[in-house]
Amino acid sequence: MTHPVEYNPGSFRDPCGFIFKRNGRLFRQINKIYEENYRLLIDSGLYRKLTDEGLLISHEEVADDSGVTDQAFKVIQPEPVEFISYPYEFCFSQLKDAALTTLAIQETALNHGMILKDASAYNIQFHHGKPVFIDTLSFDKYTDGQIWIAYRQFCQHFLAPLALMSHVDTRIGHLQQIYIDGLPLDLTSRLLPAKTKLSFSLLTHIHLHARSQKRYSGKQLKVPSHNRKMTLRALLGLIDSLKSAVTNLRWKMTSTEWGDYYDNTNYSRTSFEQKKKLVEMFITKASPGTVFDIGANMGEFSRVASDMGISTVSFDIDPVAVEKNYRLVRSRNEKHILPLVLDLTNPTPGRGWQNTERSSFIDRGPADTVMALALIHHLAISNNLPFEKIAGFLSGIVKEFLIIEFVPKEDSQVQRLLTSREDIFDRYDKEMFEKTFSNYFNIVESSAVSGSERTLYLMKKNDR
Amino acid sequence: MHILRRAAYLSTLAVLFILIDSRPAYGYIDPSTGSYFLQILLAGILGALFALKVYWRKLKGAVSRMFSKGDNSQNDTSG
Repeated sequence: MTHPVEYNPGSFRDPCGFIFKRNGRLFRQINKIYEENYRLLIDSGLYRKLTDEGLLISHEEVADDSGVTDQAFKVIQPEPVEFISYPYEFCFSQLKDAALTTLAIQETALNHGMILKDASAYNIQFHHGKPVFIDTLSFDKYTDGQIWIAYRQFCQHFLAPLALMSHVDTRIGHLQQIYIDGLPLDLTSRLLPAKTKLSFSLLTHIHLHARSQKRYSGKQLKVPSHNRKMTLRALLGLIDSLKSAVTNLRWKMTSTEWGDYYDNTNYSRTSFEQKKKLVEMFITKASPGTVFDIGANMGEFSRVASDMGISTVSFDIDPVAVEKNYRLVRSRNEKHILPLVLDLTNPTPGRGWQNTERSSFIDRGPADTVMALALIHHLAISNNLPFEKIAGFLSGIVKEFLIIEFVPKEDSQVQRLLTSREDIFDRYDKEMFEKTFSNYFNIVESSAVSGSERTLYLMKKNDR
Repeated sequence: MHILRRAAYLSTLAVLFILIDSRPAYGYIDPSTGSYFLQILLAGILGALFALKVYWRKLKGAVSRMFSKGDNSQNDTSG
């Protein structure tokens, strides 16, 4: 029986091949025009080297598969990535690691007689806790004297946002959501402080680059002159210069309202540990394959799931919390947790061509189990969201179970939220919470969190 | 290396206004004409800097190996 083919809406720009799904499994068709390059990737040892080092996603060649169009040369089955994420959801260090991974791949490729033909930040995904390049068709044969065609793309996708996040404000990372092909260099140059012109690498790769683009914008080209070439040494010099530019960019972390959240709750250490045990018990009962922890802060409770080997995405609105969470992932070499920046009240929308090239947050769900701990009061009180709206939203991203904490008005954290505003939330109570959530979920179990007024629930999505 | 960086910075400034026309390479993404010319412009400077850096690393490696050998031989004799 032939299964219908589902084309990936984000895989259409490169004529060398594309991604598709069949019978729920992911495949990549390699077109005939890429045959020579694919053979070189394998025969030169580059594929082996990059996959051994965990820099490139591995794949299996599918035997007896003629592909889905008559242009097919081969079909491969890439190792699936747990969760697809985008650069505008990365914290600073994630984007920086993604940039350095791209440059490391480019250096290795040049040493094997190949070159990266693109340097898109969307080609990097986090897999088993580390950045990995997912586009097997990005490698072209290196021809002596050629320039790096993806230099502009690298600067726009990586260097520009990193420089702005480092020198201006880390929240500028969100701009990448608007500019799908990376930040325009003229805009970056205008936003960066003047002192960045004293840095050789930022002067050249951002400021002069922007001027050069402006100078030659819309100009008619003369007859090709073959004498102007770039030697391999110069190309390696360019990569080395970009590497030091990226390495030298750092984010000086400042404390935020949320940054020291765990030191600022009304929990005692005992209550905290008891809550962890409750969460662990509920996760064991739910037995999920995937977990979304929304409003995860630094991922303390996400780790209850990920430490069990469950693939867990740890979302938080605060880039500081996500940065700290990611640094923990790196230092502990954790494989099952992915921290990402996400504003639940304005979650990542569908972007790019037809709004489907890059998927929305909701389209990348549902997760088997969703955890929403110490979150309800932020949504209901800080953001005026009625319980009905919250329950409806959660029901859309939950496949089976929801682990949710109810934080009553008497709780000091809720009182803190109410100090600067009028209390218009007369329907914010446990009874109304349970009643409204019962429209979407069945309450399987609930338990008081000791030492607090809070209650933790295990709910199962009902078949409305 | 600091002096080298400074020299590279000043020379880059000096050649900024003498960018020369040439042709862009081909591919499925647009390299942008301005980015193409900048690479050609930077090629000489970055190539030379890279060569110096590699040479410097080799020299440093050779010197440190020389000294570490010296240490080993001392250890050997004391042993």
